[in-house]
Amino acid sequence: MARLELDEVTKVFDTSAETIVAVEELDLDIKDGEFVVVVGPSGCGKSTTLRMIAGLETVTDGEIRLAGERINEKSPKDRDIAMVFQSYALYPHKTVRQNMAYGLHLSTDLDSEEIDRRVREAAGMMGIEDLLDKKPSSLSGGQQQRVATGRAIVREPSLFLFDEPLSNLDAKLRKHMRTELSRIHSEVGITTVYVTHDQEEAMTMADRIVILDQGTLQQIGEPKEVYHEPVNKFVANFIGSPSMNFVDVELERNADGSGRLVGEDFDYSASDRLLQQLDSSTSELVFGIRPENVRIAPDAPTDKSIETTVDVVEVVGSDNFIYLDLAGREFRIRAPSEVEPAEDETVRLTFDEDDVHLFDSASGEALAHGYPDADVTATVEQSDTTAD
Amino acid sequence: MLNDNRRSRTLLYAGIAVFALFALVPYYWVIRTSFLTNFAAISPDTGFIPALGKLTLESYTQIWDRFAFVTFFRNSIIVSVTATIISLFFAIPGAYAFARLDFPGRKALFYTAVFTIMFPWIVLTIPVYEVFYFLDLVNTLPGVIIALSIFVLPQNIWLLQGFFRQGIPENIEEAALIDGHNELTAFLRIVLPLSLPAVAAAALFAFLTAWNNFLWVFVLTTDEEVRTATVAIYYILGSDVLREWNVLMASLVLLVAPPVIFYGLSRRYVGEGLGGTPG
Repeated sequence: MARLELDEVTKVFDTSAETIVAVEELDLDIKDGEFVVVVGPSGCGKSTTLRMIAGLETVTDGEIRLAGERINEKSPKDRDIAMVFQSYALYPHKTVRQNMAYGLHLSTDLDSEEIDRRVREAAGMMGIEDLLDKKPSSLSGGQQQRVATGRAIVREPSLFLFDEPLSNLDAKLRKHMRTELSRIHSEVGITTVYVTHDQEEAMTMADRIVILDQGTLQQIGEPKEVYHEPVNKFVANFIGSPSMNFVDVELERNADGSGRLVGEDFDYSASDRLLQQLDSSTSELVFGIRPENVRIAPDAPTDKSIETTVDVVEVVGSDNFIYLDLAGREFRIRAPSEVEPAEDETVRLTFDEDDVHLFDSASGEALAHGYPDADVTATVEQSDTTAD
Repeated sequence: MLNDNRRSRTLLYAGIAVFALFALVPYYWVIRTSFLTNFAAISPDTGFIPALGKLTLESYTQIWDRFAFVTFFRNSIIVSVTATIISLFFAIPGAYAFARLDFPGRKALFYTAVFTIMFPWIVLTIPVYEVFYFLDLVNTLPGVIIALSIFVLPQNIWLLQGFFRQGIPENIEEAALIDGHNELTAFLRIVLPLSLPAVAAAALFAFLTAWNNFLWVFVLTTDEEVRTATVAIYYILGSDVLREWNVLMASLVLLVAPPVIFYGLSRRYVGEGLGGTPG
């Protein structure tokens, strides 16, 4: 177990054709025993970051420290880490038992008896005792995933690295393994860095989430924090499913501090409580609201609601996802299953000011969140039901 | 519908049978003729399937008595096996480097190597002879071995790099690095054992190419002591005015036997797949 620190870590791929900055001056401080999920779209540098920590990729600039010790120049085998790959990377010519024991044979001087004990213990934890004498080719994807995780656990390393380990599993198994990995983490308590492109995986598993885009850090925070207080439009858009609705608006201020957010087919009165977070000179804004915070309310006051036309209603059972047309742009809401408006019907939508996010239209930076900080925990139950 | 299916099936099998016959008859004829006397071999009375009494091992014994076939075969085996081993020794690391490493000039070197496969060897005979003459390698077994190793190398590199690139997931090597190997031991202990099918296939092709090679042995040797079986057959064919077809066919059978045996031995490995890694 150990603390992992990344200090202005940069990775530049220099090919003859072009120079790509994959990761730029990334700072991370991961506490001992913490489960950190690095998330972002493809090409954001998350896997490169993980591979640099593993020693599979050199660090162009900056420093990586594990338990206070610089590991930049150490070879992967000397870093005291274990990694689970997306493709599982099991040795096809070895049995499950040999796969799990291989690292211990190579890098420790434990006797065979002790190695076997640890293999059986890890196999027990993963529920794969019956598979120990089988070859990987005869196992299902889920079983191979378990073996790969077992192979990592058996090493008892200071640091676990997971590179999209659940991406090759079907949706149901993925959810199951998610819970299982969380359980194992709480059992073994080893510092973990977990890379995924799936924001739902990040939300459900992480102690803290690291969001990357184009090689730069966007936000680090607890799941609730990045959900309720995204630092910019990218994070707001990436976290949450369906993703947040954005509308370009202009702020028209009143004398008393309150104002109106006006956009195309959009007019919403905002109180001074929300607007006081803004700089007095700002007027070009992007208004953001999550689909789950919007409701259809025919008799809502006109200054607190917008009118839209229903495009498509998607029934998912527990909820209905309703796609609407707001001045030619898609507007999504998540409604209880009994709310099922007809297509082309005009509906009135409303939402609480507490749920509103305002971003700078040029930089995308968050300028104001409707939520007062203290309310964050109280409303999390709602967001936890976020499905894929 | 069912009848239609059955009819097309019957037609298919009939077609396959015709083609199989067409392909196999020459082989049958070679073996048949090799077991006849010289006279019976050319007599129209012998028939397609000769009477059992007419079969004899005479032509085989003649080969051993009249020609230095022991020398030719020994030379062939030494040359083919050594050339196979040498070419694999260089092709395996070479192919791995082309498949995995990024170094300046990688593409140019690779395409140069691949281009030599397509290049007609006959064009190179004079310069190659000049070089080997200069190095004092003409009319020596090492000379033949070096020539064959070099000319077999590109096809081996090409074959193996494709396997390293597609058959061995990079993650497996990375897992080995994390498990405690360095680049070299990961290659030797993980990649190479997994590549056995491809290495066996490459070895088979190298052996066959070397065994059947005529041009370089013909160009680089004149003495009987360093002649291989393939070239020896050419001399036997050209030596007599009256062709002894039975002797010729018997030497052909002997010539084909080692590659067939070699194929049988390597087939066990060539056929084995990888498995165990999805996607």
